[in-house]
Amino acid sequence: MVCIRQATIDDLLAMQACNLMCLPENYQMKYYLYHMLSWPQLLFVAEDYGGRIVGYVLAKMEEDPSEPCHGHITSLAVLRSHRKLGLATKLMSAAQAAMDQVFGAEYVSLHVRRSNRAAFNLYTSTLGYQIHDIEAKYYADGEDAFDMRKPLRQPQPKKHHHHHHHHGPGGCCSHDAPAAAAGSSPQSSNSPDKKANT
Amino acid sequence: MKGLTLNCMDRKSEAYELVRRGLKNDLKSHVCWHVYGLLYRSDREYREAIKCYRNALRIDPDNIEILRDLSLLQAQMRDLSGFVETRQQLLSLKPSHRMNWIGFAVAHHLNSNSSKAIEVLEAYEGTLEDDYPPDYEHSEMLLYKISLFEECGMLDRGLEEMQKKESKIVDKLSFKEQMASVLFKLGRFDESESIYRSLLFMNPDNYKYFIAVQKCLGLYADNGQYSAEDVERLSALYDSLKENYAWSSAVKRIPLDFLEGEKFLEAADNYVRPLLTKGVPSLFSDLSPLYEHPGKANILEQLFLKIEDSIRTSGCFPGSPQKEPPSTLLWTLFLISQHYDRRGQFEIALSKIDEAISHTPTVIDLYSVKGKILQHAGNFAAAAALADEARSMDLADRYLNSECVMQMLEADQVGLAEKTAVLFTKDGDQHNNLHDMQCMWYELASGESYFRQGDLGRALKNFLAVEKHYADMTEDQFDFHSYCLRKMTLRAYVSMLKFQDRLHAHEYFHKAAAGAIRCYMKLHDSPTKSSTEENDEMSKLPPAQRKKLRQKQKKAEARAKREAEEKQEDEAASSNSSKSGKKQNARPVDQDPHGEKLIQIEDPLAEATKYLKLLQNNSSSSLETHILSFELNMRKQKVLLAFQAVKQLIKLDENNPDSHRSLIKFFHKINSLPTPVTDSEKLIWNVLESERPDIRQLHGKSLIEVNRSFLEKHNASLTHRAAAAEMMYLLEPNKKMEAIKLIEDSTNSTSSGNNVLGPVNEWQIQDCVDVHKLLETVFGDQDVANRWKARCAEYFPYSTYFEGIKSAIAAYVVDHSLENSPENGIAPNPQLKPKDGELGTLNGTLHIVDDLSSLSIR
Repeated sequence: MVCIRQATIDDLLAMQACNLMCLPENYQMKYYLYHMLSWPQLLFVAEDYGGRIVGYVLAKMEEDPSEPCHGHITSLAVLRSHRKLGLATKLMSAAQAAMDQVFGAEYVSLHVRRSNRAAFNLYTSTLGYQIHDIEAKYYADGEDAFDMRKPLRQPQPKKHHHHHHHHGPGGCCSHDAPAAAAGSSPQSSNSPDKKANT
Repeated sequence: MKGLTLNCMDRKSEAYELVRRGLKNDLKSHVCWHVYGLLYRSDREYREAIKCYRNALRIDPDNIEILRDLSLLQAQMRDLSGFVETRQQLLSLKPSHRMNWIGFAVAHHLNSNSSKAIEVLEAYEGTLEDDYPPDYEHSEMLLYKISLFEECGMLDRGLEEMQKKESKIVDKLSFKEQMASVLFKLGRFDESESIYRSLLFMNPDNYKYFIAVQKCLGLYADNGQYSAEDVERLSALYDSLKENYAWSSAVKRIPLDFLEGEKFLEAADNYVRPLLTKGVPSLFSDLSPLYEHPGKANILEQLFLKIEDSIRTSGCFPGSPQKEPPSTLLWTLFLISQHYDRRGQFEIALSKIDEAISHTPTVIDLYSVKGKILQHAGNFAAAAALADEARSMDLADRYLNSECVMQMLEADQVGLAEKTAVLFTKDGDQHNNLHDMQCMWYELASGESYFRQGDLGRALKNFLAVEKHYADMTEDQFDFHSYCLRKMTLRAYVSMLKFQDRLHAHEYFHKAAAGAIRCYMKLHDSPTKSSTEENDEMSKLPPAQRKKLRQKQKKAEARAKREAEEKQEDEAASSNSSKSGKKQNARPVDQDPHGEKLIQIEDPLAEATKYLKLLQNNSSSSLETHILSFELNMRKQKVLLAFQAVKQLIKLDENNPDSHRSLIKFFHKINSLPTPVTDSEKLIWNVLESERPDIRQLHGKSLIEVNRSFLEKHNASLTHRAAAAEMMYLLEPNKKMEAIKLIEDSTNSTSSGNNVLGPVNEWQIQDCVDVHKLLETVFGDQDVANRWKARCAEYFPYSTYFEGIKSAIAAYVVDHSLENSPENGIAPNPQLKPKDGELGTLNGTLHIVDDLSSLSIR
C-alpha cells in the first residue's frame, strides 16, 4: 500500500507540504535542509502508490555534550487520509533503528501535546515511550507538552509484526514547537551560521 | 574600520558609505576590501562580493579568512573551476586542517573530476593513523568516497574498498544499499539479489527493494508491459516472496500491476477484503493507478458490486461463511462511490456516498469524499460546504481545515478561505504565518482564484510570493557550504547542490511562474482600469493642473509610506515588549497588501519575460512553457522566438490541440505580414523560409488543408474539433457557421465496456466549459453558447457553471444535514468570528446556509 523509505533531498518539499497540510507546527525549508544535511539517516517518508508523500518523520541527534547521546523526534506526520495503515509506527521504528545503529543513541525523546490523546497512546502503548517530564506552556498557544523518552540500548521485547499496529492517531502526531525548533535551527550554536562573519 | 561592520546591522547605506570612504583613504587595505565584500555578501550581491574579495586577495594573497569566504561564494555561484583553485590554495596553506582536504576533494567532484577527488581523499587518509575507532564522520567520508568510485565507473575498486572498510562504516543501511547497487552494476546479480532480500527483511515496505529484486532476475520493464511468460515468472516470484515477507503489504499490492484477467480479479479480491473489513480509508487511492490499465476498472467494478451485493444479502464476503462487521458495508460503499467518481458517474457516486452517510453519519471521511465528488461534478460551492461540514466535525484536525480551505478557494471564496486557514496559523495577534511558513499550495490556489475573478493585483501578489520562496531556498544553501564540510555529510551535501540546481523545475514554481506570466499578459492586453481612467482624466487637464495633481499624488504616497513605517515601529516596540526580545526583527509592513503597485508596472511583458526564461531553463519539457512562450512572444512581436516555441510544441506533442493552434496562428500571422522592407525584416523572413520545409505538417499544403487534415485525424475528440473549428474561423471568417457546426456536431460517446450501472461518458467537464467560453468569446455567438450550455447541463446535471438541474439539489442535501446537526445551530451573523483559542466555539457551517440559499433561489 505505502512505501516506507529513507527520505532523499527531493522529498523535502513534499515533506514540508505534508507538514503544512496536517500539523499546526510548521518549519521553513531551511530547517528541513538542516536536518537532511546533518543526519540524513534520520529522515523517512511514507510514499503512496501514486508517488505522493503521505507521511514523514523528521528526527535529529541532540548534540549537547553534557547529556548522554540521544536522538529526538522533531516532527512526525501522517495524512488523515492514510490512517489505519500503521504508518506512524513504521516511520518511528525506522528512525529509532537508525538512531541506534548509526549514532549509538542511548534513548530517544519527543514532545507531544498534552491534549493529543491519540498520539500519546501511540507513543506509550505501541512504541514504548514514557513520560519523562512536563514542559509547561511549551507550545505557542500555551498548551503543555509531555517530554517523553524511550530507551534504545536495552534489549527490547520482540515486537509482533504487523497485526499489532496501532490504528489510533489521525493526522497529528509529535512535533516540536517552532520556538524550540528555532533554537536548534541553523541559526544556533552548532550550526552553519556559527562563523557567518569574520 | 571595525565599527563599520556593526553599522551594517541596521543602517546599510551608512555602512556602505563608510566602507567606501575607508577604501578611498587606503585602496591597499585588504581589510577594507574584505569588509566591502562582506557587506555585498550580506545583501546577496555575490558577484560584487567576489570582486571585492579578489581585490583583497591581490593585496594579501595568502589570507586564509578571505580565501575561505571566497570559496563559499564560488560554491554558491557554481564557479567550479574557481572553487577548485581556491580550495587548492587553502589546502597548500594549511594542510593540517581536515576540512581543507575534504573541501579540495569535493571541489574536484563538483567540477566533474571524480577520480581526482578520490585521489585527494586517499591522500588525506594516508595522513591518518590506522587504528582509529569507527565514527560517524569518518564513516560518512568513506561512503562518500565509495559513491565516487561508483559514479566514475570504478566498480571493482569500489567493491574492494567496501570489503576493506566495512568495519569502519557505521551506516549499515547505506552500506548494504551501495553494495547491492555496485554488485548489480558488475553483473553479479545473484549476490546483489541476496542483499536486496536481506534489506527486505529489514524493511519489507520499501518498494524499491522489490523492484531491485525484479531487476536482478531480469524481470523488470519500465513501462510495466510483460510477456505472458514473464507474468508467470513474476507471479511465482511474488508467491514465494509472500511466504518470506508475509506482513508486507507491498507483496500483495505489486502483483495487481502485472496480473491480468481472471488472475487479476482473484488477486484484487484477496487484496481488498481484509482492507474493507479493517476500514482503510486510503484503499481507493491505493487502487486508483490501476484505472490507467485498460480493462482493470471494469473488472474492479464487477468485483466491488459483487462484494456489495453479497454483504447486503448475507453479511459475508462472496463465498465466505464468516460474518462481516456492519462497518464493512460502509467501507464498501465508500470505495464504490469513489470508483464511480473516478469514472465520472457522479450521480451513482453520490447515491452510494449518501447511503454510506446515512449508514454511519459520524464518519468524517464520508463528508470529505462527498465534497470531492461534488467538486468533480462541477458544484464548487456545495463541495466547499461539505468540506466545511467535515471540518466542523473535528476542529482540532488541521488536515480537515486545509481540505476545506482548498475547496473554498476552488469555489472562489477567498476571504472565507483565509479566515478559515488562519484558525491554525495565527502568529501573535496580527496576521497569519502562512507566508512565513512557505505554505505554497495556499498561495497558488489563492492566486489562481484571484486570477479567475480578474483581480490581477492580488493574483500576482500570490504568484510572486511563491517565486520569492524559491529565491529564499536558493539562498538557504549558503550556510551549508562550510557546515557540511565540517559535519562530513558529503553525500547529502552534493545531492543538495544538485537539488538546488534543479529547484526551479519544481511543480509549485512552475505553476507560480506560469500564473504570473498570464497575469502580465492580461495586464498588457487590457491595462488596469484605474490607471487608464486616471490617465484619461489627467490628459483632460491643462498641464499646470496635471503637474499639481501629480505632486499631490506623490505627497499622498509619501504620507502613506511614513504612516506604514510608523506603524511598523509601533509593532516592533509592542512585540519586543510582549515577547521579551524573542523576535528582534520586526517584520516589515507590507506596503502593497493588495498588489496594486504590482499592476502599475510600465512594461508587463518585460516582467513576464523574466519568468518565462526561468521556465524555459527549468521546465523545457512542459508543453505549457512553450505555449506561454508562443503567446508572450507573439505579443512582443518577436517572430523568431515565437517560431522557436512553435517548433518545440510540435516536437513535444504535435497532436495537442494547443500545438496545432500555435502552428496555424503563427503561419497565418506570418502570411499576413507585408513584404519585408528593412534588413532585419528580410533576415527574419529568410530564416523562416529556410526553416519552413522542416515543418512536416506544412509540406505542400495550405494552412486550410493542414487544419483539415488535423481535424480528420482527430475527428472523434471534442478538444481537437474545437481547436480545428477555431482555426477554421480564423483562416476563413466566412465559414463561421460551418465551424460552429463542427463543434455542435461533436458526440459525447460512451466508452465501451460492461458497465452495470450506466454509461461512462467521454467528455470532461473542464473541456466543455472551455468550449462554452470559446463559443462566447471567440465566436461571440450567445445563442450558440446557450445551446451548448443547455446540452452540457444534461451531461453534467450537478454543474453550477452549466446550471444543471441538480446543481441546486446539492444545496438541499447540505441544508438537510444541517438540520440534523443541532450543534451547528443557526446564528444571525454569517461572518466567522473566531476568538483566540476558542476553536471549539467556532461555528464553521454558518456560511453554507448563505452560499447555498443563494444557489437554490436561483
